[in-house]
Amino acid sequence: MAVRSNDGSGAPPNGHIGALEHESDSVLLHINVSDEDRGGVGGFVDSWKSVFAGMKITAVRAMGPTKTVQYPHEKYAVSPRWRGALALKGVLGRDEIPIIRDESPVYNAVIRDLYDRERLPPCVGNCPANVDARGQNYYLAEGMTAEAYELVRERNIMPGVLGRICHHPCESACRRNYYDEPMAIRPLHRFAYEEYADVREERVKVFEQTRDQQVAVIGSGPSGLAAAFDLMALGYRVVVYEKERAPGGALFSGVPSYRLPRDVLSTEINGLVDMGLDLRVGIEIGKDVPIDHLLGEFDAVLIAGGLQTSRIIPVPGHDADGVRGALDFLKDANWKGDAGVKGKRVLVIGGGNVAVDVARCALRTGATEVRLACLEGDDEMPCHPWEIEEAVDEGVIAMCSMGPHEVLTTDGVVSGMKMRECLSVFDEMGRFAPNYGEDYAEVECETVVFATGTAPVLHDLVAGSDLVLNERGILPVDGTLFTTVMPNVFACGEVVTGPGSAIGSIATGHEAATSIHRYLSGASLSENRTDRPVPVYENYQPARLDGVEESRKRVKMPMARPEDRRKDFRQVETGFTHLEAVNEAARCLRCQSEVCVGCTFCARTCPDYAIQVQRVDDPGQRAITRYDLDLSKCSFCGLCAEQCPTNALTHTGQYELSFFHRDLMVFDHDEMLRDCGGTRATGADAHTQADAEEAS
Amino acid sequence: MTGYVGGLVFGLSGGMVIALAALFGVWWERKVAGRIQMRLGPTEIGPAGVFQALADTIKLLLKEDITPRQADKKLFRVAPFLVFTPIAMSLVVIPFANGWAPLDTSVGMLFYLAVPAVSVIGILIAGFSSGNTYATLGGIRGAAQMISYELPRTLSVLAIAILAGTLAPVEVMARYEWWWFPVSLLGFIVFFISSVAELNRAPFNIPEADSELVAGYFADYSGIRWAIFMMSEYGGIVATSYFGAAIFLGGSQGIGGVLGVLLIFLKAILLITVIIWVGWTFPRFRSDQLLTLAWKVLTPMALVQIVIVGVIIPWL
Repeated sequence: MAVRSNDGSGAPPNGHIGALEHESDSVLLHINVSDEDRGGVGGFVDSWKSVFAGMKITAVRAMGPTKTVQYPHEKYAVSPRWRGALALKGVLGRDEIPIIRDESPVYNAVIRDLYDRERLPPCVGNCPANVDARGQNYYLAEGMTAEAYELVRERNIMPGVLGRICHHPCESACRRNYYDEPMAIRPLHRFAYEEYADVREERVKVFEQTRDQQVAVIGSGPSGLAAAFDLMALGYRVVVYEKERAPGGALFSGVPSYRLPRDVLSTEINGLVDMGLDLRVGIEIGKDVPIDHLLGEFDAVLIAGGLQTSRIIPVPGHDADGVRGALDFLKDANWKGDAGVKGKRVLVIGGGNVAVDVARCALRTGATEVRLACLEGDDEMPCHPWEIEEAVDEGVIAMCSMGPHEVLTTDGVVSGMKMRECLSVFDEMGRFAPNYGEDYAEVECETVVFATGTAPVLHDLVAGSDLVLNERGILPVDGTLFTTVMPNVFACGEVVTGPGSAIGSIATGHEAATSIHRYLSGASLSENRTDRPVPVYENYQPARLDGVEESRKRVKMPMARPEDRRKDFRQVETGFTHLEAVNEAARCLRCQSEVCVGCTFCARTCPDYAIQVQRVDDPGQRAITRYDLDLSKCSFCGLCAEQCPTNALTHTGQYELSFFHRDLMVFDHDEMLRDCGGTRATGADAHTQADAEEAS
Repeated sequence: MTGYVGGLVFGLSGGMVIALAALFGVWWERKVAGRIQMRLGPTEIGPAGVFQALADTIKLLLKEDITPRQADKKLFRVAPFLVFTPIAMSLVVIPFANGWAPLDTSVGMLFYLAVPAVSVIGILIAGFSSGNTYATLGGIRGAAQMISYELPRTLSVLAIAILAGTLAPVEVMARYEWWWFPVSLLGFIVFFISSVAELNRAPFNIPEADSELVAGYFADYSGIRWAIFMMSEYGGIVATSYFGAAIFLGGSQGIGGVLGVLLIFLKAILLITVIIWVGWTFPRFRSDQLLTLAWKVLTPMALVQIVIVGVIIPWL
């Protein structure tokens, strides 16, 4: 046996003692065991060397730090990812749900912070304007309807309007999609609006003008009003110009009143006027007042003019009498209630939401037959599926995978349309490049409405200023700061984004208001400015509903019968009752709030039946009355914590649990809420418990 | 009559001392072993866990004292005391302070080397009387080993006896001079290694050999009788370390009083620590390696040592 110490300086040893090699705290561990066994005096010396080498190893070990700690006085800090026993961070009835609420210029930073900490509820994250739907549901469930309305209004300006027409990306991202059915967030906006009517008068809060700068907003659509609201809240004086006789922009002239009753729109806008908005209708900038005048009078001008005209596809015969653009058609239908299609057959070209609106309006204004033709197949139509579903219920005939080929005319008047089969709409690169087949079809009709795109009309508006349009008639605007070539002119809404959603326009309004505020207060527009995060949420497949209790399902929105509703412009959806709304709001899982709502999904998912949850469901005083975790059953698989939508249920670093009695292994409500630092097992916080008893 | 009373008092207090020494030894071994294995060792009972061994002792006292059915019951019961008594007796001649030993006799070194050897008989009896193959093997191994190592151990001490010209440990300590240490170093090493073997300590714990013989000659013992075996083991460690410190390391070096007591105590602690350290460093020897070491290495080394002090030094 010959073991030689090699203090790391010589040639690389050829026979490492591997187990010791990873330790870096001593150099003598590089020990070379040679194969030769020398006899005589050399072997004697070698033996003694090896004896001392071994003794040196153990001596160095003994002097070094220990790898164990003095339990229970000190412990290793173990990451909760290691799945120790479970704990709750908060419970309903004891802890408040965090409300997301701040001034518009810093709101993005608030959202970004929540996002970075993984504490952003999916509904809020998926909303372009980041409306705090979780807070709304919390307030509604607690019976604080007015607070809910005001919370929502801060971000989407007109809860009554958005509660009817929004395409609710919040509901698409709702985590309840995964379990049963999504929260009815949009109908709850509407419910909050309807309840707020009773207290609207007494709760009017006029924004005080604390700054002497003034801002002009051109256009009273959703984006213009959102920017105006933010700027008023910041203390500016805001004047909104609207060229039509009534405010609302596309909400008035584009959205049919069966979806948005006009009194709702006017109530909401009147509410803004009551809060100090200077709204001037019937003044068209560029025609009645030149924009130069505004530039002289106001410190900043915001162009929120929206899209005014429809694009018509230049097929043969597109200039015939009876061919119309969608916006004109809707404007006629909305303003006059008569689009000139009484008794006629109508063909709508296009598959978007506007096309569906046109088709349904055509039915309501007396068309005998309404067809809707689009290039896309019936499973890839760009409109929202529920829209076309409702339209088909009412009698609209959908013709999918058909493209317009030629407008058939008789003496310059439309008599029909020749359609051509469309095989595919997009090429491999995803660009719009329709590929037509050889099948043709002829449709007889008296009116053809093109709902195939819209465009802004800005020539008059910008005339006489430094603003220039590009060759397609579009105003060049910075897509994130919403600035134009002139430093004091900003733009937002569909002028910038092209056709989009109302809530998307509102989001651009908030951003533009932030830019204007920074410009007027002399700050840099981009410096320290937080972009709102755009999280991507999974596209939920409908959950399986067999075995799901009725109380867990989404409250159904009552709707008028199709045969009744196709005849008039009364609203199709009839709204929640008070009880329905409170029950629906109570369904909210309060995602990422770190406050347990007793959704019981942890108990349902537990493979060992170790969790028992009970909650009291009385409106206004919902609370968790029981949360038991039986550690003797728990296998620390972590499914419950993974499942928990609120992140209130988390693993702790507690591993060294020992108990004198079996009953103590059932962690009750109080034990689950204890700080991660100590448990009854160690008695580390026994004194705090004693203090609490003393105090009580 | 006074002789009997004195003997009783002496015996009792000696027993107490050896018990305390064993408690301390167990605790110290666990601490050192723990540190060597990067653990803390006992921490909970008393400061740094110093009363852990005491708590264990109470537990052992309360445990059932089992006598196996196959055992030769009388011998089985008496064997632990046959092992313990000689080792306890050996403490009598150790000079715990300058110029004082409990029994200051002119043949102290001879007494120390002769009396503990009797415990071999106890080990043999313990092994045989258990009626257990493992225990019997352990007893035979223990006897063979201890008898083998008697020789180098005795020879190594001889060097100091020649230098000092006396066999009384107290006298040796009084006459000690510093240059004895380098001159008798070879003898000290032989003494140390053979003592470890004599005590059945690792790496010479062949009679116990947990992995082969369960626990060797005391495999069938439990409770207080097992504790007595452990006490004799640690008592032996303490006795050997004190004896080595007194004979080879100069003991109190002529310093009287408390300081002298402390000095010899510290030297003994040093040797105890080294014994533990060696034990937790090296793997166990094979039987043949054990005998090879004794006859081919240690015995010649001891003889060389005697030549050094007996021939070369007088010749200088």
